[in-house]
Amino acid sequence: MKSQHALKLLLSIYIFVFFAYLFGPLIIMSITAFNSAEFPAVTPWECFSWRWFTEGKVTYDGQRLAGLLADTKLHDGILTSLRIALGVVALSVPIGMAAAIVLTQVNSKLRTLFYSMAIMPVLFPGVVIGISTVVLWDRIASMTGGGAMADIGRNGVFLTILAQTCFISTYCFLIFVARLQRFDKTQEEAALDLGASQTQVFFKILMPYLMPAIASSAVIAFLYSFENYNTTVFSILSDQTLTTVIASKVRLGISPAISALALVIIAITLTAAISYEVLKRREEKRLAKIKQMQLHQAMPSERLMKNQKTGSRLPKSMFLILLICFGVIAGGNYLASNNLYGEKCIMAADEAKKSNFADQLKLLQQNVGNEGATTPQSGPTTGSQGFNNIFGDPNLFKNFGGFDSKTE
Amino acid sequence: MSADVELQNISINFGDFYAAKDVSVMIKKGEFFSFLGPSGCGKTTILRTISGFLEPSQGQVLIGGENMAGIGPNKRPTSLIFQNLALFPLMSVADNISFSLEVRGHSKADRRARAEELLGLVALEGQGDKKVHELSGGQRQRVAIARALAIEPEVLLLDEPLSALDLKLRQKMRSELRAIQKRVGITFIYITHDQGEALTMSDRIAVMNEGRIEQVDSCQAVYEQPKTPFVASFVGENNPFYGEVTACNNSRVEVLCDGNKFVADISGRYHQESKKLTIGQKIILFVRPESISIKNSKTKTQNSFSARLDSIEFEGHLQNLFLTTGPGMKVRLNVPNAEEISHLTAGQTMDLTFSAQKAVVLPEGNLAVD
Amino acid sequence: MQNFFAKNGPIISTYFLIAIGFWIIFLIVIPQLYMLDLSFRPNLPPLLRGGEEDVYTLTHYKHFLFGSETSKDAYNFVDLNVFFKTLATAVVITVLSLCFCYPIAFYIAKVAEHKTARLLIVSLIVPFWINELLRAFALRILFAGEGVINNALINAGLMDNAINFIGQDVALFTGLTYAYLLLMMFPLYNALESLDTNQLEAAKDLGSSTLRTHWRVVIPHAKAGIASGSTMVFMLTAGALATPVVLSSPNTFWFTQLIYQWFNMNDNWSRGAAYSVLLLLVSVVFVLLMMKLFRVKVGEIVK
Repeated sequence: MKSQHALKLLLSIYIFVFFAYLFGPLIIMSITAFNSAEFPAVTPWECFSWRWFTEGKVTYDGQRLAGLLADTKLHDGILTSLRIALGVVALSVPIGMAAAIVLTQVNSKLRTLFYSMAIMPVLFPGVVIGISTVVLWDRIASMTGGGAMADIGRNGVFLTILAQTCFISTYCFLIFVARLQRFDKTQEEAALDLGASQTQVFFKILMPYLMPAIASSAVIAFLYSFENYNTTVFSILSDQTLTTVIASKVRLGISPAISALALVIIAITLTAAISYEVLKRREEKRLAKIKQMQLHQAMPSERLMKNQKTGSRLPKSMFLILLICFGVIAGGNYLASNNLYGEKCIMAADEAKKSNFADQLKLLQQNVGNEGATTPQSGPTTGSQGFNNIFGDPNLFKNFGGFDSKTE
Repeated sequence: MSADVELQNISINFGDFYAAKDVSVMIKKGEFFSFLGPSGCGKTTILRTISGFLEPSQGQVLIGGENMAGIGPNKRPTSLIFQNLALFPLMSVADNISFSLEVRGHSKADRRARAEELLGLVALEGQGDKKVHELSGGQRQRVAIARALAIEPEVLLLDEPLSALDLKLRQKMRSELRAIQKRVGITFIYITHDQGEALTMSDRIAVMNEGRIEQVDSCQAVYEQPKTPFVASFVGENNPFYGEVTACNNSRVEVLCDGNKFVADISGRYHQESKKLTIGQKIILFVRPESISIKNSKTKTQNSFSARLDSIEFEGHLQNLFLTTGPGMKVRLNVPNAEEISHLTAGQTMDLTFSAQKAVVLPEGNLAVD
Repeated sequence: MQNFFAKNGPIISTYFLIAIGFWIIFLIVIPQLYMLDLSFRPNLPPLLRGGEEDVYTLTHYKHFLFGSETSKDAYNFVDLNVFFKTLATAVVITVLSLCFCYPIAFYIAKVAEHKTARLLIVSLIVPFWINELLRAFALRILFAGEGVINNALINAGLMDNAINFIGQDVALFTGLTYAYLLLMMFPLYNALESLDTNQLEAAKDLGSSTLRTHWRVVIPHAKAGIASGSTMVFMLTAGALATPVVLSSPNTFWFTQLIYQWFNMNDNWSRGAAYSVLLLLVSVVFVLLMMKLFRVKVGEIVK
């Protein structure tokens, strides 16, 4: 028995560590979004600031680090991603639905083949799907010579929609298959028997039944499309989506603006998850109530009516929310009282840096004067190079330069 | 409007398997007609053929004299009530009922009015706005009936619709169904494996076995004068005695079963099969458990035999006695509960008898498997 | 076919046929076949395509094995190294993910109360919906030279110089594990969830130890889930691009980066195609291997 307790304790610790691993990096990243320093860090903490969500910052050496609101490239990327995602939803939901319905109609031999075919795209590496789409359409475009077909074949948004639809349709397909497994086919027969045409059966019986699957597959397709990188990076060609913008930003140097973006996405996801959960619980409660009412009707016994708890009972989650509010207030108070928030703090920090920078510049000029050498690698001369020594590896941002240097 | 349904030499095969073989039957206008048979006998196949979900491999279906070949289920003047009812769970009760009007493009007001009317017919007034899952089993049953009746079909097909209900409700629904049929006056074709249902509701019954119709007759005739050993053993309880014919004429058959000489009266108009018997032919003589009685006097009468009592089973309104004859035949008989039998003990030998009018002699054949 | 039209009616049948045909033929089969074709052709400028020089050749696959003709090495050690390192790492990460996820999946499926279980599941899903790039970015903040971990360790006085997590590939491996952990979790959870709790109690009642119960009862039951999760994690890890882009050191290539390089930087599409075919081949072989190993159908792997 004692070993059982030890095991349980061990398990609890493990679960805690696991979730800390899962959430820790995200939480830390979220915190760095509020640090006014141009490198995403928790320490040293400069000032609490919203600047990465808004206009960003012009550094002491004149480099412009755009915040979320000011980043037009990012906005364009988001718009492109939105267009692609809508296109993918419009294609993959009907495709997945059609495939799942037909799967229920074919005989068992054909079904295995068809099913394997339909799920294959998920097992393909994303890059492969992107590449195969691009090479095919490039060929089509060059074969047709010029004109509309060539334009389409070299249109990154169009190609990306096709490439993503290839595998996102499978996710939709699987959602529909799961829902259709529980479909009572006699409903279709009943509708037919009552005089409905096949088309009417589809729209009046099958579609309403599939509505939840349509909704969830649309959401899933949208999310998969929106966050896809591996396929998109090939098929988007010269355009930019949200993910390719993020990737190129990360490659060029990490900015707290990305943390801010991540935080926005986390907030949206959390809100969606929580509201979904709340809605689901409410629905479950409603169903339970109906069931109980039915039971009550069938057997009118007072004992069966559960004593509805009366009185004001606050849900436990309220305490959590209160705790968070309290934490935020205390934290804000701390930041304000220590002069770590607001214009003053930021100005002070910038001032300190500028003077620091000026000192270093002077030192540098002295060095240059003394040795007559070129700019040493260790000295922060420009903003982007200034990040280099953060990683202790001057070659880090040659990531893709590294590719270039590799030749046959 | 009501229509007659005629099946002409219907055969339905899936590869080598014949779900129905050479089925011919004429169902009259306004009749409550049942197909009765064990599961897998092909009765559902017949129903699906009439409703148009299956095309017969051979033969044809005529409804109201019209050949239905190539006409889909949505174009036939039939309505089907499914075994699981197949109500549309996402629609309200009223929408379910008026669905057939909806697909025909009737106006909302029309639909509403018709739904209310039908809800009245099945005693569900004012429940139109409920969802299907808010109804009880019996209420759902009635909604299914109302939905099927909404377009005023000429023939209503029912596929064991009562099988999901509990016993009490099932018995109540039987009389309700019968009453509704009388009220609307259309042809009802009912499928069941429950002989009680078939016997209580139907005007006529077709007993089916292995894809064929064994007998089509009134309930009484099917019970009293079965035409085949299968019908005799499937409908109600029956005691079979195997033997052979020793003498026969137009009004009597004498048979010898395991040393017992029995006589059956075949003068009635139903006994066409028995009249064809010849001397020496192998036969089965059937006597219902309620037709066998305990003989109290020692006088020698016809159709008497003795058997040892194995056990007594109490079933409420009657008591079942299980006995074994000398040569090892199992015999069962019912005694009304009112009769005093407490003096009987297991193991004792008793003399039994039955009336020649109550015995049925049929050429040897397969019995229904329990 | 006639049956199909009769069953669905003309309008719906047409929609079905067009949708499925478009998907299977134009999006799945033809692109892959064309890519396969291209991988056997020389890299030619568009004008020369279809001309005399456009003949089938094994040159790209040869390059993968033996390197360029001017190279002195017997084999193409650079590319082969990347290839096998990618595969080996993917296998290691798959196994690690399985080990990490199993206790959690079991806890949620069989031990935790309903409410707790659902809360945990939601908490698992939330990070999953955050873009892979951003999750990798979060790790980069931690692992950077002046990142949170290095700063914390130095401030705590535990060490003097920053550890080069990225250069040592620690960041990359952590990031890849982090990225696809949940694809192991969910199939595993689903499989374990369907296990009848009575079986656990029966095993316990019969005197089986916890470890033995897991080995003999739980794991065999979860076999399809393990196969499914392992396949997904392996495929996604081997085919990952986003995480390596953010977290790999300049000295380390992931195989997908190699493909990217041929494709985008060197503009050698047919070689990129050939390398993609190799990656695809590995994926197919791995799926078949898992199917054979766990005796599951392909339908059980992708659910």
